[in-house]
Amino acid sequence: MDCKKATNLITLSLYGELDEKDRAVLDRHVRECRACAAEMEYTKKVFKLLDEHKPALAAEPDWERSWQKIQSGISRTPAKNKAPLFPRWRWVYAGSAIAAVLILGIVIGKYWFAPSQKPVQIASPMTASPVSLQPALSSHLDDIKPVLLEYAHYTAGDQGTKKIVIDEKIVRGLLLQNLLLKRILAEKDPAAAELLDDLDLVLKEIANQPSQSEQAPSQIKDLIDQRGILFKMEVLKTL
Amino acid sequence: MEELNLIRLAQAGDTLAFRSLFEENKQQVFGIAFRYLKNAEDAEDVLQDTFIKAYHALHNYSPEKGVNFGCWLNRICVNASIDALRRNKVREAHSLDTEEVVDVRANSPRSNPEKTALDKEIRGKIDQALTSLSPKQRMIFILRHYQEYNTREIAEYMNSTEGSVKKHLFRAIDTIKKRLRRLIMENDYGL
Repeated sequence: MDCKKATNLITLSLYGELDEKDRAVLDRHVRECRACAAEMEYTKKVFKLLDEHKPALAAEPDWERSWQKIQSGISRTPAKNKAPLFPRWRWVYAGSAIAAVLILGIVIGKYWFAPSQKPVQIASPMTASPVSLQPALSSHLDDIKPVLLEYAHYTAGDQGTKKIVIDEKIVRGLLLQNLLLKRILAEKDPAAAELLDDLDLVLKEIANQPSQSEQAPSQIKDLIDQRGILFKMEVLKTL
Repeated sequence: MEELNLIRLAQAGDTLAFRSLFEENKQQVFGIAFRYLKNAEDAEDVLQDTFIKAYHALHNYSPEKGVNFGCWLNRICVNASIDALRRNKVREAHSLDTEEVVDVRANSPRSNPEKTALDKEIRGKIDQALTSLSPKQRMIFILRHYQEYNTREIAEYMNSTEGSVKKHLFRAIDTIKKRLRRLIMENDYGL
């Protein structure tokens, strides 16, 4: 037996709550352990001190006055009326009420505090563009595409396509439109801005080409091919 | 009239029968409350509170369950006393001087002033030791040491287990022993 347990048994022993078996074990331990023997002596002294200085009861209260107060407390609510309607089921009702409140709280919490369910956006240049600019960009690409196709299908030496004639005003108009879109989309849609950059370069080449030059269309065609401009336009429109 | 009959009548709303039950048990209930609260006024409040609660809960009391009426009342009193102590923590501090306690031994013609002063000092130390206990430990100690209920009965009053009561009792005794060690050593008390 350890000394801690012996200390507890000493207390029970002094209160007369130790059975014979435990008493024998404690007696044996106390005989062999000086510390516990001293502890037992000290506990006896403490008990003696407590007993000799037991707080005496106060002068008896006025029992009649107490009873009057009890009687007035009783008469306010008769005992019979205080009986619960379904005493046996009260815990079931209480449990059900708590469960209902918890479920309601979870449901409300789920809808009230849940983050808004925004659709996950794939970095698509078209969809990433502000909604109001999507038709404008699409329309701009549609306007510019026939001009680019003229140059893309150009074959040097071919009599039919030797000369490409495009009204300069149209080209300048497209350039201006391209510039405006580029500025707006520069930060919001980098992919579209990159394409508009390429288009800017091509449109400037077209606008500035010498009117009688036979090499200029080939150079512009090469530029369109090298930069993959038509492909980028298709990609942008399909995404 | 037998206690069982009085209970049956009181359960039916007979206040005279309930008065008889009050007369039978008032000392015991007041004793627990007073020793625990160390204040006659608070103990009187707990006494009244206990009997009013008991009356309203009489329909729940069933002697067939094997709990006697006194034990059932003690359970109500114990809870009411612990609640009162928690409510009146401020008053607790003022009650340490235990002036309300009327000790007939101190007032007897044969008592000498030196011993009376020493007794008062010792009682003050004991009070301090009891005040340092938790409300539960203090109630268990008072029920065991002063009211002389055994740990099984205390477990019933406190709606607890005997093991838990013993654990709290051991801690309470341990604290009291530590608190009184200096006093006992200095006065060589009990040697």
